[in-house]
Amino acid sequence: MEFTPKPKAALLIVGHGSTENRDSSAPYFDHAHEIRRRNVFGEVHCCFWKEEPSMREAFYMIDADEVYVVPDFISEGYFTQDVIPRELGLTGPTTQVHGKTVHYCDPVGIHPSMTSLILQRTDEVAPGVPQEESTLFIVGHGTGLNKNSTKAIKDQVDHIKTLPNCRFADVIDTYMEEPPFIADWGKLAKTPNAVVVPFFIADGLHSYQDIPVMLGFEKEEGLAASQKDVFRHNPYHLQDKTLYYSAAIGTEPMMADVILDQISTFDAQHVAH
Amino acid sequence: MPNMSLTKVLADALDSGVNQIGQLRILRDPIRVHHIDDYDLDTLKVHTDPDDARKIGLYTPDGEYRFTKGELSLKTGWLFKLDSMEDLRRTIDQFYPASLGLWNAWKNDRIQIQNLRDKLNRQTGMYRHARNVSNEGAQELVKCLCGPSNKCVKKILWKIDDENPLEDSEASRFEGLVGDVDESTAIPMVCQEACNFFVAQARKKSKEEFEAKEQ
Repeated sequence: MEFTPKPKAALLIVGHGSTENRDSSAPYFDHAHEIRRRNVFGEVHCCFWKEEPSMREAFYMIDADEVYVVPDFISEGYFTQDVIPRELGLTGPTTQVHGKTVHYCDPVGIHPSMTSLILQRTDEVAPGVPQEESTLFIVGHGTGLNKNSTKAIKDQVDHIKTLPNCRFADVIDTYMEEPPFIADWGKLAKTPNAVVVPFFIADGLHSYQDIPVMLGFEKEEGLAASQKDVFRHNPYHLQDKTLYYSAAIGTEPMMADVILDQISTFDAQHVAH
Repeated sequence: MPNMSLTKVLADALDSGVNQIGQLRILRDPIRVHHIDDYDLDTLKVHTDPDDARKIGLYTPDGEYRFTKGELSLKTGWLFKLDSMEDLRRTIDQFYPASLGLWNAWKNDRIQIQNLRDKLNRQTGMYRHARNVSNEGAQELVKCLCGPSNKCVKKILWKIDDENPLEDSEASRFEGLVGDVDESTAIPMVCQEACNFFVAQARKKSKEEFEAKEQ
């Protein structure tokens, strides 16, 4: 999707962040860095719920009168529908607040262009592995508290299955905390190979520790992702199958394109030019 | 909000003699930034990309993760050589997120201060229990977490709530200036809302208070 530069507008990327995990905010800054490098916005900033700068500090950093806010979140849910609008003072797709015109885009994870990112990631993590003999697992957190948290993954799975160039024997959505469980991957996969892509923005406890434990190639104790290369020891041979494990999808450099795509989609739907 | 850009506000401040914010020394002609405790600039590792500042600020000299960016634990040994005032602004924002904007809003009386109770009452998930901390417990936390003795460089603007200002202490009196400098040469760092480290400690404190009552 071609992006029309907005030299007079600011981009504000919103992430969750973590009080404990030093790797948690790195992808957001990487995405900001990449978009800044492309020189398509007058300003590019990040803000967080759990790290600095906070959402309530964000507008103080921004000069531009027009701001695009993109939640760098994987799904619709409590944070994108309640926390971010409340913290930034947003009341709809476009809000006049803090003396600025603020556009609130959908979260990156639900944009259709995430699909090509997933498929590119599978090619990188399992190069040359025949897809006809492979099952693709997309892994999310899953929670009984919010139906939307799994919708983004189900939509991706449904979409990938319909693609003419998808040759995977099967594509399955799986979760950490609700069925189908990723821990059952060995039973779910009817093929000799399995490719596992965590559908998270950042590599954190879930992708470098919890899911590897559920897959069976790590013990309970783990180190921070930056200290440990769980993603670089592919393939793993487990349960008579060959398993390829990817880093969190949000660490993919092309996420910058998805952010810009989400802005273009917003403009097409809400902003008359 | 005024139309003057933060870059212009920063340039004007430097013109008036400002050369410091937090632990950063700012030099002009050419524009450079280094740690206030570094003196021999020829020995420092040179950086030109403002985004490098965030990575430098991630760890203390002992390798500990610096979750709170206002911590007095910035490592030494680096020098930014920058092409523009815009890059200088970005470098400062990477070391001290939103510090320039918050200072500018504060000095122009446009800052929206978040008192502690407002902040705690907005917490959800495991942090929702932080709101149960008593006023006395919160006052104690300010004294043992904030201010230069506890390695924070920020001037606290918030109160516990509208009826309960912070008790007098080194932390509540701190003006956000590092070292023996005044506002004519340094930009104060201001704290508009309690940080998430404070929130996490408030959660622990409320748990301790609850357990003490149970005994």
